Amino acid sequence: MAQKPIIYKSWREMPLMTASMGDTTINKTGSWRNVEPHHVEQVPPCSFRCPAGNDVVSFVTLAAEGRLEDAWRVLAQTTPFPGTCGRVCPHPCETECNRAQFGEAINIHSIERYIGDLFRDNPPELKRPPYTGKHIAVIGSGPAGLSCAYQLKMMGNAVTVFEAHSKPGGMLRVGIPDYRLPPDVLDGEIRRIVDMGVEILTDHRVGVDVSFQKLMDKFDAVFVAVGFTNSRPLGAEGDDGDDVIPGIEVLRRINLGMKDGVGDKPLVVGGGNTAMDVARSLLRNGRDVSVIYRRTRHEMPAITEEIEELIEEGIEITFLATPVEVIRENGRMTGVKCIRMKLGEPDDSGRRRPVPIEGSEYIIKADCVVTAIGETTDLTFLPDEILAKTSWNIPADELGRTLFSKMYAGGDVADGAGTVTAAIGYGRRAAIAIDASLRGEAIPENAAVSPSLRDRTGYVVPFEEINLAYFEELPRLEPVPLEIEPRIKTYDEVRQGFSEEDLTREARRCFSCGTCPACDNCFIFCPDVAVIKVKDDPDKFYIVDTEYCKGCGLCAAECPRSCIVMKSVR
Amino acid sequence: MQKVLTGNEAAAWGAMCAQAQVISAYPITPQTTIIEELANLVANGMLDARFIKVESEHSAMAGCIGAQAAGARTFTATSSQGLALMHELLHWAALGRLPVVMADVNRAMAPGWSIWTDQNDSLAQRDTGWLHYYCESNQEVLDTVIQSYKVAETVDLPVMLVLDAFFLSHTYEAVHIPSQDETAKYLPPYKPSIYLDVKDPHAFGGIVQQDVYMEFRYKMQVAMNEALEVAEKADDDFREMFGRGYGLIEPYRLDDADYVLVTSGTVASTARVTVDDLREKGHSVGMLKIRMLRPFPFEKVRQILSGRKRVAVLDRNICVGMGGIFTQEIRNAMYHIPEDKRPSIYGYIVGLGGRDVSPEVIASIAEDVQKRAVADGEQVWIGLKE
Repeated sequence: MAQKPIIYKSWREMPLMTASMGDTTINKTGSWRNVEPHHVEQVPPCSFRCPAGNDVVSFVTLAAEGRLEDAWRVLAQTTPFPGTCGRVCPHPCETECNRAQFGEAINIHSIERYIGDLFRDNPPELKRPPYTGKHIAVIGSGPAGLSCAYQLKMMGNAVTVFEAHSKPGGMLRVGIPDYRLPPDVLDGEIRRIVDMGVEILTDHRVGVDVSFQKLMDKFDAVFVAVGFTNSRPLGAEGDDGDDVIPGIEVLRRINLGMKDGVGDKPLVVGGGNTAMDVARSLLRNGRDVSVIYRRTRHEMPAITEEIEELIEEGIEITFLATPVEVIRENGRMTGVKCIRMKLGEPDDSGRRRPVPIEGSEYIIKADCVVTAIGETTDLTFLPDEILAKTSWNIPADELGRTLFSKMYAGGDVADGAGTVTAAIGYGRRAAIAIDASLRGEAIPENAAVSPSLRDRTGYVVPFEEINLAYFEELPRLEPVPLEIEPRIKTYDEVRQGFSEEDLTREARRCFSCGTCPACDNCFIFCPDVAVIKVKDDPDKFYIVDTEYCKGCGLCAAECPRSCIVMKSVR
Repeated sequence: MQKVLTGNEAAAWGAMCAQAQVISAYPITPQTTIIEELANLVANGMLDARFIKVESEHSAMAGCIGAQAAGARTFTATSSQGLALMHELLHWAALGRLPVVMADVNRAMAPGWSIWTDQNDSLAQRDTGWLHYYCESNQEVLDTVIQSYKVAETVDLPVMLVLDAFFLSHTYEAVHIPSQDETAKYLPPYKPSIYLDVKDPHAFGGIVQQDVYMEFRYKMQVAMNEALEVAEKADDDFREMFGRGYGLIEPYRLDDADYVLVTSGTVASTARVTVDDLREKGHSVGMLKIRMLRPFPFEKVRQILSGRKRVAVLDRNICVGMGGIFTQEIRNAMYHIPEDKRPSIYGYIVGLGGRDVSPEVIASIAEDVQKRAVADGEQVWIGLKE
């Protein structure tokens, strides 16, 4: 309630100097306003870039506060594989991190890994709705399939997963070496999915042990997530011998504890993650391994860290060359004839196309070639009428919907994105679509986004909107990896995790872009006491008293993380 | 206690006697040794004060304003360009009615760069609403610091006391230093009527409209009028307690003098010697020292100068395009007395940029004022290389 104005009749009544004698409510400065602040939460670039849709900013912020179980619950919304992703994801969240321009990007993957590991064997209980009565078949127990199964189960459905191999995990199991993803991490995270009640039938190859049509008939929906299973052929003369082996086959053998079947001096062809993984695995198996890639390091599609670690471990990469012929004497490979390449015009991928240099052929000594120049799908299990509608993939939309009702597809078999995280996101989106469809409900908007971020309608916070006055320029914390010498003789995990102290320190570097932690800066700086704290509503920290807000914008300027935007008054 | 101190040290010890609670200052030649000495006094525990190191004189005064507004007794010191940089905040302190006390070591303004004395720096701040004292000796500097607090805190206006660069600032004299306890009997603790207090919140220095701005200015004028009496009483009380007093103006051998030399600062000391000489030679010459420039002691000046033949005002300053500033002040004061009692007023510009004002210079002025029948022109430049 504003008080009455004080009217002075004489200078003698007036105070010594211009000091307020009443309260400031007399002065309704709100009438001056032509812009006004809105307290909003904006989209942080990390969360925006996460292919799995993880609410990165929230789990990092909670980790900074030491609320690790809450951080785990944030992750559990969108992924059953925090420990796995914390190890194998190429972390685009860090590439986009605004901190990179002030200090270095937050070590998000190490934070995710810590949280995942901490609760892996004793996961907190999650609330689930009652059983829907629906039963969904998932083909493939890779990251897309298990992500979809996990989400469907969390929504109250029954799920059965069909896996061709003897162990679940798909590419996580057979495509990623133990030194990057220790088996106990994967086992633990899959165990949680099984413990929730997801049925996984291993050694069940669809098309052999059970027909696709039977699944379509028996289940309420079928999600196809068989991934990439076949290596592309080398395309060199003489590439049809037993001594030319697909890289993913070698990885499968190693990961399933079989003999790798590779000679003493293998040449790995390719520049992607499979090439890196198979070369480093063969090094650990005592082979004199080298890599050949037809472009330069700049064009290599493998994760940068994997390339760096491979070079650290002493594996040689020959750039700008490619095999053209396998040379054999008496049926035994003695070498590979290669041709040198140069980079030409950019191709469809935007990378410069390698062009052979005529007459530059030369021979690299090798007794075995391992191909890792890309993978393809094997869709032969599908009935002919469906197969006829496929190309290199199963065409599906962002929500996994195919041309056929009840049939959904996701992961590499649909988009070929080639990362675990993208597959997890695809599986989750498909699960949302399947569940909504089976309930007869509309698919929620922003299905790709973590539920805890869905009401954020603002823009992605740019670095320029971070108020650096409130942050210290601190370097990124990075756990020290295993020493080269012991690690190349074993499959021990190369990269180490955070200590709890480092976890907290690193998480505290986070700007929390666009995410209000109720720091009270706006409340403190408002010269008109027009920012009011809301104590009762945990989701709404501050409101603006429009009778007094004169639109000065101090609150927006002093917000460290762009949670206040000024808008014109209409 | 008696110590041999420079004028700058005397200023610092004056603040120590008065128990200033916050020192906010930035060094500048020739003021630097004031704040060095204060830093020593704070560091060795003789003065229990917060010493704020700042990055400019503007901030030095801002620091004093903030601390004074919070109810603390503050002290600062500066000189020349530093004082000029404070200009905006000098208004702020005065209109905010904050009784800050500051020593200004008179130094000529640049360019050309000079570290030597003249009064243009302090006189350029004449209209900011501060009280101005001009000091003649190191003892007067110390005593005036103490008196300044008494006056400032009574009328709620800031005080600038001025001492000449090097002639006082770096010259040693024996100085009596009262203890803090003795001083406290003269100068009670600072108790502002209104100050920053979370238990009684007010906003200070806010916006006012046309309906009250003039009244705030008028209240300052009332306070300045009152300050004349307050300053006189403060000097009388000081004399009673410590045996030393200076008056707001000081007549020297004026009783029967027809000709009066008006001086300020250290020139007054030289003028005393010169007057003694001239008297011996039979000249009817006396001297009037102006110690307080603001508020201007109109009545006292009129009373003393009324009926004299001629008055020579020695200005160690120049208001370019007008003349000496003390000359203007004296002329202004003498306009309203009856014509038959009104002396002719001669203006002399002396000693700019630290040029020596010797007994010979002063004697030449005394000779000129006796010889020249009409005070033609606004000013005479003494010792100019023609």
